[in-house]
Amino acid sequence: MGEVIVITSGKGGVGKTTTTANLGTGLAVSGKKVVLIDTDIGLRNLDVVMGLENRIVYDIVDVIEGTCRLKQALIKDKRYDGLYLLPAAQTRDKNAINPQQMINLCDELRSEFDYILIDCPAGIEQGFKNAIAGADKALVVTTPEVSAVRDADRIIGLLEAHDIKNPRLIINRIRNDMVKRGDMMSIEDIIDILAISLIGVVPDDENIIISTNKGEPAVTDSKSFAGQAYRNITRRLMGEEVPLLDLNVSEGLLSKMKKLFGFKSA
Amino acid sequence: MEQEAKSVVFKGNSDGLVIVFPEGCEFEQALQEIDNKVSNAARFFKGAKIKVVYRGINLTTEQEKAVYDILVKKSGAVVESFSRDEENKGAGNIAPKPSRTNEATRLRFYPGIDEGNCKFVKNTLRSGTRIDYDGNVVIIGDVNPGAEVVATGNVVVLGTVRGMVHAGADGNRDAFVFALGLKPTQIRIAECIARMPEESDSDGFCPELATVKDGVIVVEQIMRPTLK
Repeated sequence: MGEVIVITSGKGGVGKTTTTANLGTGLAVSGKKVVLIDTDIGLRNLDVVMGLENRIVYDIVDVIEGTCRLKQALIKDKRYDGLYLLPAAQTRDKNAINPQQMINLCDELRSEFDYILIDCPAGIEQGFKNAIAGADKALVVTTPEVSAVRDADRIIGLLEAHDIKNPRLIINRIRNDMVKRGDMMSIEDIIDILAISLIGVVPDDENIIISTNKGEPAVTDSKSFAGQAYRNITRRLMGEEVPLLDLNVSEGLLSKMKKLFGFKSA
Repeated sequence: MEQEAKSVVFKGNSDGLVIVFPEGCEFEQALQEIDNKVSNAARFFKGAKIKVVYRGINLTTEQEKAVYDILVKKSGAVVESFSRDEENKGAGNIAPKPSRTNEATRLRFYPGIDEGNCKFVKNTLRSGTRIDYDGNVVIIGDVNPGAEVVATGNVVVLGTVRGMVHAGADGNRDAFVFALGLKPTQIRIAECIARMPEESDSDGFCPELATVKDGVIVVEQIMRPTLK
């Protein structure tokens, strides 16, 4: 039986979609059968990040309204076997589906796939309620900003109210140099406030922007430091014990890379 | 149960009746079954004009005549033709079929792709907008990614298409898509779907026309000299 995991954050722009794309791809690379569901109806992005936008014929609303069969709407990834995307509709809104329909959809997918990753929209309204309805587990993404952490705290409360216990935390876009200077919240500061278990820390990495624009998740790029962080989170999701990335090393590597890019552009 | 599987099956299609003979059946027995079925359904057939084809086995000319006679006498329908289904015949005899199916289905299309209703949209379509129209659509502006234009007729975009356009949405393969710049995420004409090549290095701004040729969407650049 597959596991349904929702990736959520409350605040927008902290990296839910990027995280979903990278973890999904990472799991598929490890030989798992994975389906990614974009529940951000009306503002879909996951298809773009996955580079599958031009293959969409049917979407989640078509499946739920019975316009097509579920199999017809699943888009097979162009690079990895066992990775599928169920895209959101762009010309509809969040009210086109309801939580009960999401539960049914997840149950239908559960028998076919090892992991069902749900990309949650920002906010706490209908879209959020739909996204978490069918989920067994949750990953909460936050960045080291007071506003993002505040929203993550609210989300964790709502998840617990909906009986999704023990959500796990991903801290995204952390910059060790800023933390050291005291200009950014540290991992410890964030965990102090949120008090949930950490599943991974992803360093700020400009490769992510490059790979997102290209439609190729960074997790497959062995040179990308953020990609390494996502690979580690993937392994932790599958139950392995992997130590946290040493961000001090990252600083050297990152600055090296930055120098490299700086050199190139000069 | 076995008896069931071996009996003759009647199926309806767009312009008449298909009789499917089970493989290896006895002709005399099959003829008897047809006789029974047609007699029972005589009231249903009465007065109808039907074309009848058959599948499953090859009949001799005499056998065809025998079945034809039963159909004419017992059904009360006007049997316009009786022949073996071309689909199962060799490639030699396909020619008449496509024209006939075209004629049968064309009536259901939007008829005005040469001259008919037209919707004008005088702004750029941004992500999330959808134009759905029974007729032709002209857009004065761009169609951005995430926007959709669905028309039963032609789609003409006086701007750049980067989103999805669907012409001939009710199945008309003669519909076309024209745009001053054609870089869609996806283009559809009738039931055909195409997407742009992954690495489309089309340089600059060139009017393009998309049509269906041999069941595939073909995009051609429209240069000045050919625009007569």
